Amino acid sequence: MKKITLAFITMLSLLFVACDSKDATSTENTKIIKVGTSGGYYPFTYFENDKLQGFEIDVWNAIGEKLNSEIEFKTSKFSGLFGMLETSKIDTISNQITMTDKRIEKYNFATPYVYDGAQIIVHNETAEISSLDDLKGKKLGVGLGTNYADIVRAYDKNNEIEIITYEGNGFQQDVKLKRIDAYIEDRTSAVEAIKKGNLPLKLVGEPIKVLVNSFPFLKNEKSSELLNDVNKAIDQLRADGTLKNISMKWFNTDITKK
Amino acid sequence: MNTFDIDYTLGIFPILLKYVDITLSMAFISTAIALIIAVLIAIIKTFNTKVLSQIADVYISFFRGTPLLVQLFLLYYGLPQIFPSFSSLDAYTASILGLSLHFSAYMAEAIRGAISSIEKGQFEAAESLGMSQTQTFIYIILPQAIRVAIPSLMNNFIDLLKSTSLAFTLGVPEIMAKAQLEASSSFKYFESFLAVALVYWALVVSFGYLQKLLEKKLNKAYSK
Repeated sequence: MKKITLAFITMLSLLFVACDSKDATSTENTKIIKVGTSGGYYPFTYFENDKLQGFEIDVWNAIGEKLNSEIEFKTSKFSGLFGMLETSKIDTISNQITMTDKRIEKYNFATPYVYDGAQIIVHNETAEISSLDDLKGKKLGVGLGTNYADIVRAYDKNNEIEIITYEGNGFQQDVKLKRIDAYIEDRTSAVEAIKKGNLPLKLVGEPIKVLVNSFPFLKNEKSSELLNDVNKAIDQLRADGTLKNISMKWFNTDITKK
Repeated sequence: MNTFDIDYTLGIFPILLKYVDITLSMAFISTAIALIIAVLIAIIKTFNTKVLSQIADVYISFFRGTPLLVQLFLLYYGLPQIFPSFSSLDAYTASILGLSLHFSAYMAEAIRGAISSIEKGQFEAAESLGMSQTQTFIYIILPQAIRVAIPSLMNNFIDLLKSTSLAFTLGVPEIMAKAQLEASSSFKYFESFLAVALVYWALVVSFGYLQKLLEKKLNKAYSK
């Protein structure tokens, strides 16, 4: 009987072995800005070899340098980012957030730092789709929680386009495999993804909407202060050419001005 | 057509292994909490305590009757809406809580079944020796029941270990989340997901081996 209890105790203690503390509390000397990002949006914010990098990361590191603040990136699924902002787990979101009317109503946005377009992307071999009109009766993929679905719905009053939402960017794979007919994403990101993934996809038509992107902040006093600082930093980065340089580095074109 | 990129697959493993500790710690902590809840429920059900027994029934029914993913979403995204204080719950803790509650319902049934497999006569025998009901339970019934319950509890543990992959939907940086993130920038889906599948498989195989050793030890007293 002793052996049995002994074995039981060993098993229980084994259960606790791998429990380790995850939260390292940092010293509060420099101000820390918590930036939420998906880390799953190549080439704006992505992981490669387990390292978070991309256009957004460079922009925020530059802002941090100007403000003499430490930037702490918190990664989460895109659809969870706004929830984290609401509950003040993060100060702002950096993930190519488009300034839509609904969002402007709810959040204070920083000065826009990217101007882009919502783009329809189809398989190389698809010839019959070149505009939203052609998508009627077709399957269209969009990211869950992104505003592309809203843009399409506003246009497609009779619900003739079948919208399929994705966590992450499985829509690229699905168009490649012809499981769906097209997807909508911002132009710059799509170009880079197709290049990097060597995907059999192409952009069609003009962008269906100009997208103005920036960082959303909660409408409260503490956030307004930070927002002012960030705005000043963005102005300086634009003036001294840093923003343009970051854009050239990632996209070979300047997406930071109109 | 793309071909299978073996170098990329091999390169993914070191990244995944760095996060195995998160997966394992979630599995171990959840199992420990689930076991405690499960034993309590099993005791309540065995002694058929009035109101408590009914609460236990509802508890088991709910946590067995709804998908784990739904429970995780309820905890992490749903509760803070009703009780704002829950918003301080981080994704890692919420996942552990969800896994514990969910699997405690299954484990409770496994333990209850094991307890009821012990002959009633043992209670009477213990009573005639002057042992109290609690003493009988702790010293006579439970040690035997644990031996009977180990295979199904181990099954629950393996199931739980694999279910930690759902934590990535809450943003916990465990191995499934890492595989997904690497895949979304490299577009090498097959390679990334195959690598993560092999890591889970290796983990489960090693725990299966430990289970065999444990069972051998526990059965020693019974094999002549």
